[in-house]
Amino acid sequence: MTNIPVNAVDVSNLTVKFGDFIAVNNISFSVEKGEIFGFLGSNGAGKTTTIRVLCGLLLPTSGKVKVSDVTYDQGIEAIKAKVGYMSQKFTLYNDLSIQENFAFTASLRKIPSDTLKRRTKELLSFIGFSKPMNTLVRDLPGGIKQQVSLAASILHDPEIIFLDEPTAGVTPVARARFWALIKQLAKDGKTIFVTTHYMDEAEQCGRIALMRTGEIIALDAPENLKKTTFPDPIIELNPKGTIPSEMIEQLRTNKAVDSIDSYGMKYHLIIKDPQEWNQLSINIAPYFVIRQIPPSLEDVFIRLVEGVTR
Amino acid sequence: MNFKFNIKRALSIAKKEQFHIMRDPFTLTMATVLPVLLVLIFGLAIEFNVKDIGLTVHDSDRTFSSRKLVEVFSSSQYFNINPSRGSIVDAINDLDSERSKASLIIEPEFEHNLLAHGNTKAQFVLDGADNSTAGVILGYLGGIQKAANFKLTGTLVKEPIELKTRYLFNPELSSPWFIVPGLAVVVIAILSILLTALTVAREWENGSMELLLSTPVQPLEIIIGKLIPYTVIGLAAVLLVVLVAILGFGIPFAGNFILFGFGSLIFLIACLAQGMLISVLIRTQQLAMQIAMITGLLPSLLMSGFIFPLESMPKYPQNFTSILPSKWFMIISRGIFLKGADFSDLKLPFIGLFLLSAILIITATKKFKKDLEP
Repeated sequence: MTNIPVNAVDVSNLTVKFGDFIAVNNISFSVEKGEIFGFLGSNGAGKTTTIRVLCGLLLPTSGKVKVSDVTYDQGIEAIKAKVGYMSQKFTLYNDLSIQENFAFTASLRKIPSDTLKRRTKELLSFIGFSKPMNTLVRDLPGGIKQQVSLAASILHDPEIIFLDEPTAGVTPVARARFWALIKQLAKDGKTIFVTTHYMDEAEQCGRIALMRTGEIIALDAPENLKKTTFPDPIIELNPKGTIPSEMIEQLRTNKAVDSIDSYGMKYHLIIKDPQEWNQLSINIAPYFVIRQIPPSLEDVFIRLVEGVTR
Repeated sequence: MNFKFNIKRALSIAKKEQFHIMRDPFTLTMATVLPVLLVLIFGLAIEFNVKDIGLTVHDSDRTFSSRKLVEVFSSSQYFNINPSRGSIVDAINDLDSERSKASLIIEPEFEHNLLAHGNTKAQFVLDGADNSTAGVILGYLGGIQKAANFKLTGTLVKEPIELKTRYLFNPELSSPWFIVPGLAVVVIAILSILLTALTVAREWENGSMELLLSTPVQPLEIIIGKLIPYTVIGLAAVLLVVLVAILGFGIPFAGNFILFGFGSLIFLIACLAQGMLISVLIRTQQLAMQIAMITGLLPSLLMSGFIFPLESMPKYPQNFTSILPSKWFMIISRGIFLKGADFSDLKLPFIGLFLLSAILIITATKKFKKDLEP
């Protein structure tokens, strides 16, 4: 069998403007089929806007978008039929039961009743839901709501699933559970496009795009991002006692140091000149526990996204 | 503009809306309690026929004739006689102090003139500050004058021309007869605009609009789907009002029930569409509710002819009322209810109503935002 790689999503030179405000500025990227693709960025970076364009909820100002071989030229409805979308807002009706919510969504998408029955059964066992179907959504705990919402958004068995901050506001246990579901979906051949604030979630994506003020500033697998952003090791400084802030400022301006950022009580330092650093590390040894650590995605994020503005 | 329409999707919107209504005590309570409350308040409390009007009598004549004249007033059941507390000035001051609405001043020569010349005068002073009461009192005076003539001279004065008045459709000019059929208009207008103004705004507030928009559902399907259950509620409210009118107030229903129902239906749809339009334009429930109150309640109370006759309005606002569905249905409702008018009598109002509701539905559909632009 020949395996021609067909992209699930192709975006080229996409720009979205709201009046004078540029929400998304000339971005281009592709998502492969079966990939878990993460969108990482702070609030207002343009993640949600991009997702909405890809789901047919927002018209692009300019640029080309192809989702699951469908372009905007074929109509917004053709795109809507191909994708599943789970908004960062909770979109099910609280005063309707799970059964009623599913039936309503299904009827809007013209899913036949026998298909609905089969899909409901599949999806509820997929998310491990065991309560009666006539439970009102408002009576469900937050984590379960999120999973039911996911199930509702993929009732029509879409090829691509867009999840806009799906785990915002749920417990860590529920987040882990939700990510297990996402991975299972990817394993079943679905393409997952997810935005998140959480670094640990971003680590689980196949590739991630970092967005800042409407632009993609980096796009790669998490491991590659770490390697390319930090070719040199990161030094963690753990203060032994109280450190005056002047000392940090002195370190920042030291020839040996490229940058130093605080991480909670600790500091992450990046070396500019290894020889100079050897000397400096001996000098500051009385004040810090010094150790070499692998870069985390958070280091990458801070360096790329926030470092630029500094 | 895309007017693709799928009846199944509209019906599933309607079904979903029905679940919301059934599970929301507020909607159902408002739909049943509000009409009954309004009918009772308006039907029982509003009385245009002013009675027990305070009348200060300053009788300087104190004769048989002057007492007869006062008697005519006091026996008319419209006036309560307040004896004068002294001078003519006091009698006029009674109007300032709101002790009386009118004063009757009888000069000393009253009986003398009557007997000597067959012709006499008394002065009637009215409080013009309250011009609606003044107008009503003025209406009574003609009858009272006639009665006084008869009492004082013993004969009916022959006037060269005599206008005989007979009131058709409401022989006793009973206020509830006039008010309650008009109230059907007000009840539908308020209820339907209020109920629907919230529904689309609620979808935006809850976030469920994103779910709707991520499916292929069309604006017209959403609008029609949401209109259906509220139309049923609205018709039930109309029925309630009509039943209370007939059974509670004994108002005869002169016309055709089917035609009345048909008119109510079109009016309902116009009002619901107006509410829907507000809801589409305003994305928060609270603001939508306030705008619905202003645009629903005020025009239907003040500019539909419900209480204040449109004919007495200046030309410009009077023309403006033609774009209010409530004006047209007011004509239809009173016409059918009291006069037993048929369709051929009411062609114009029916056409006006129909056009307005079509325009409102189309506008609401067009203004419906299909994307999530903030």
